[in-house]
Amino acid sequence: MQEKTYIRTLNVRKVYNPGKPDEITALHDISVAIDRGRMTVLKGPSGSGKTTLLSAIGCMSRPTAGSILIDNRDVVKLPERFLTDLRRKKFGFIFQQFHLIRNLSVLENILLPLYPTDMMPAEMKKRATAVMTNLAMAGKERLKVKNLSGGEQQRVAIGRALINDPAVIIADEPTAHLDKKLAAEFMQILAGLCEEGRTVVIATHDPFIYEHGLVSKTIAMRDGRLEKEH
Amino acid sequence: MIKHLKIIDYALASLFRRKYKSLAIITAFTLVVAALASILLFSSALKTEAAHLLDSAPDLIVQRTTGGRHDLIPAEYTEKIKDIAGIGAVTGRYWGYYYDPLTGANYTVQGTDGTAKNLELLDGRLPADRGECAIGAGIAAIKKTGTSGELILVNSSNTGVLYEVVGVFRAASSLLTNDLIILANEEVIDFFGYPPGKATDVAVQVYNKNELQTIAGKVKKLLPDTRPITKSELVRTYDMVFNWRSGLMLTVFSAAVIAFCILAWDKATGISADEKQEIGILKAIGWDTADVLALKFWEGLIIALTSFLLGTIAGFVHVFFLAAFLLAPVIKGWSVVFPEFHLTPHLDPYIVFTLGFLTVTPYVASTIIPAWKTAITDPETVMRG
Repeated sequence: MQEKTYIRTLNVRKVYNPGKPDEITALHDISVAIDRGRMTVLKGPSGSGKTTLLSAIGCMSRPTAGSILIDNRDVVKLPERFLTDLRRKKFGFIFQQFHLIRNLSVLENILLPLYPTDMMPAEMKKRATAVMTNLAMAGKERLKVKNLSGGEQQRVAIGRALINDPAVIIADEPTAHLDKKLAAEFMQILAGLCEEGRTVVIATHDPFIYEHGLVSKTIAMRDGRLEKEH
Repeated sequence: MIKHLKIIDYALASLFRRKYKSLAIITAFTLVVAALASILLFSSALKTEAAHLLDSAPDLIVQRTTGGRHDLIPAEYTEKIKDIAGIGAVTGRYWGYYYDPLTGANYTVQGTDGTAKNLELLDGRLPADRGECAIGAGIAAIKKTGTSGELILVNSSNTGVLYEVVGVFRAASSLLTNDLIILANEEVIDFFGYPPGKATDVAVQVYNKNELQTIAGKVKKLLPDTRPITKSELVRTYDMVFNWRSGLMLTVFSAAVIAFCILAWDKATGISADEKQEIGILKAIGWDTADVLALKFWEGLIIALTSFLLGTIAGFVHVFFLAAFLLAPVIKGWSVVFPEFHLTPHLDPYIVFTLGFLTVTPYVASTIIPAWKTAITDPETVMRG
């Protein structure tokens, strides 16, 4: 039987510019558990360290101290290429600014994670078509993302996050640029992903998300420390 | 394999995405390669032409000097030289330069000595009698004449002399014959008003080429007022002249190459915020550092190879089909080959390799290094800017 906790951080500390006059500790010995197949929210005001923690959990940056266990395997000391492999195979990222490549088409953006793999182009397109259909983006493959609305851009970002069929979806302030209606649509999409068994971790200060009924765990942060977990 | 093909595909798409920037770089890069290729190809072609020319040169040329200047040599010197052991044929040569005020061109007028026999005729034959001449293709063109045509020259007595053109030259080297007028030996003597019993210089055949320097020394000892010039000295002189001229051009031009490299380096090191963010995005979504470097490598290589190819073709066309009109005045110098001439098209693999090494390598390196600096940092840092 699979363990309930999928990701666990143990005394994770993150210091930026260590030893320099502008040294800043963004995370102070954070220990949290992320449940498998559930939606977990990291909430807190700007500068509370939630994005830093999200980056560390998503293997995008290494903590200065502490451990991060993914499926009971400590990933902190893994060489860079293993972290890259983990990012590609286990995680799908949805960034606050979407971080799409503006001059690429919808299809090209969604396919980006599959370029450095040995998957045949026909299979890539098949997957992309399925993802776009699920996100109601069929027929917009050739449009440049710079010409899309905010909601559509976010769907492209979700499509890109899902193209590798990841176990974990990581979303940083996903509703920052969406109105209420689009935010609600977004939460429905995430709910569907949870139902498929994926783990969802969201960093947000938007009450619409952390008070949403679909959220199973909320971790409150302030000044790089845990405030409350429930 | 599939992965690399897809990365190349993405690299091509990236270049098309930034088409104006890519085009601007390719244009500037192509101009630099074309100029560099022109200099290298032109000086190499001239050296090849000179080598052809020297193939038919005598083993040893003996000139007489008076007051350190070239003077006519007495015919009896040939008999004295013949007495030296190891020497074959010894021939007095008759030649001089002729300035044609009508066309503003300098021609070389030469007698029908041993050297002329080695030249290949495009049409007709060598002159056998007085009143006949064979001319280079350049002169034929500039004077609008040909075999069975006529050529009028003004001799040293300021009298016009009419010659029948009995042959037009072609050689492996047009440099060799382009400005050449061949007359019978007696005709040359009369035309320039040379005193009887004197030749311009003496061509000497030496049986054992290893003995050339020794023979030259013997000639000098026997005839102290002469200057023996060996074939290898001629080769060296030609090489030095063309190397010096092309070296001068390369020095001047290297400033442009350096400027371009600085520009390329600046462009690459000043990797734009967009490009930095793109690298960060690619890293975050699972591209390895090696994948990003492969992408940047292919982008750089596509630009560099396209420019290299276009630039080399442009340089080749400029040198061999447009008579190197931009470089010829500098590299040829004052030139006895004043009439237009065309070099034999030839592409030396060594030059192609040198060009590639000097242009493609620095550009690709200047593209990859800054990308590598960006790609090895945490994607989170890159994306936060």
